[in-house]
Amino acid sequence: MSSIVRDGAARVLLPAVISGMLFFLPSAACAAQVQPADQLAWWVWMLLLFVFTFLLGIIAVVAGVGGGVLFVPIVSSFFPFHIDFVRGAGLLVALSGALSAGSPLLKKGLANLKLALSMALIGSISSIAGAMVGLAMPERIVQLLLGLTIMFISFVMYRAKNSAYPQIDKPDTLSKMLRIYGVYYDEHLKKDVDWQIHRTPVGLFLFIGIGFMAGMFGLGAGFANVPVFNLVLGAPLRVSVATSVFVLSINDTAAAWVYLHKGAVLPLIAVPSIAGMMLGTKIGARLLTKVHTSVVRRVVIALLAVAGLRALLKGFGI
Amino acid sequence: MKEAVHADKVQLDYAAVLGVTSTVGMVLIAAGYIAYLCGLLPSAVSAEEVARNWHLKASEFHKVVHFPSGWEWTGFLGLGDILSYASINYLALVTVICLAWIIPSFVREKDRIYTVMTILQVFVLVFAAAGVVGGGH
Repeated sequence: MSSIVRDGAARVLLPAVISGMLFFLPSAACAAQVQPADQLAWWVWMLLLFVFTFLLGIIAVVAGVGGGVLFVPIVSSFFPFHIDFVRGAGLLVALSGALSAGSPLLKKGLANLKLALSMALIGSISSIAGAMVGLAMPERIVQLLLGLTIMFISFVMYRAKNSAYPQIDKPDTLSKMLRIYGVYYDEHLKKDVDWQIHRTPVGLFLFIGIGFMAGMFGLGAGFANVPVFNLVLGAPLRVSVATSVFVLSINDTAAAWVYLHKGAVLPLIAVPSIAGMMLGTKIGARLLTKVHTSVVRRVVIALLAVAGLRALLKGFGI
Repeated sequence: MKEAVHADKVQLDYAAVLGVTSTVGMVLIAAGYIAYLCGLLPSAVSAEEVARNWHLKASEFHKVVHFPSGWEWTGFLGLGDILSYASINYLALVTVICLAWIIPSFVREKDRIYTVMTILQVFVLVFAAAGVVGGGH
């Protein structure tokens, strides 16, 4: 009985306390508008950024989300960097994570090359368009839209009920033509699982929007890729997660080049972010079996909701 | 049941080249940043100057701080911060290299659909990398 009460308290109180602290923390970015550089030495900011992204990396893995989606709203809220540089770094954080995870996922047959290539072509084009639009917009509009998007993502994460092994009775014509089907070894079931997909045209349409959003806000967009692969197209959850990583590496590459050409990537900010996130995700992967993942996931959803609200308020100039 | 490999040959080709190129990218990024921050090489722009202006919009930042963007770094090799920037450029090229690598594999398998799709994908990424869209600031 007491453990039930303790669990219940952890599920409700922990996310509430952490998100409350996040909401009321002072924003360095706001202070930076007045006094850009003199408050803290640059190397202190770099150290803080490294430690912060390291912690983000740990909770991102445990909560089952990509680091990019947490990075942009939270770093743009608490660090003195312009959101252009945060988005540029966010894309590179997501890209480096996807590149380092991609090879083993492809080798195991969890990520599917044909499924990814079919969706990424259209997604990468819209990702370039999103990056161009995002960098041309005034900061307040970007903050406003980012706030709305992040709050929507937290809602989707809260409501989404993924399906581990969707049953597809009849694949659609386009997926048959593109030969998008496969088989993978499921470590949980200890057997091979055959899969196929349906509603391919709907998936292609949705990837236009996902790519645009990823490019515009510098987000990894795994949070959107996975539900589309899993719930719309009907790919098994493991295949959806792994293929999402692969699609992300293509879409984010396209958008990253726009940010690089627009001068929105600073090595001083991007590299500690990448290093912190990579180390954090490695530690997070080791902790995965030892921590209460559902509580961490609730914390992340609460963090996202609060970070989204802060971005929204900044967008309104509050 | 023993785990079998279910990835086809093209996918395994992609995985192999991705494994090598992404590892090289991470090493380059770490080496470039260490060279930059430890002052092993002179810098185009000091970290202090970057920090004084990092609150500015990217387009405003580059009016004040003369740090290269896109491929401009190729004219400033030998500087620590440029080396770090070049390593980030390399990371953004990894996917292009991997996709270009598997085109001959698709051709050998006479897979016309995916040959064309991969060529188009490489074209889109090269288009972005060349700065044809979004170039300049």
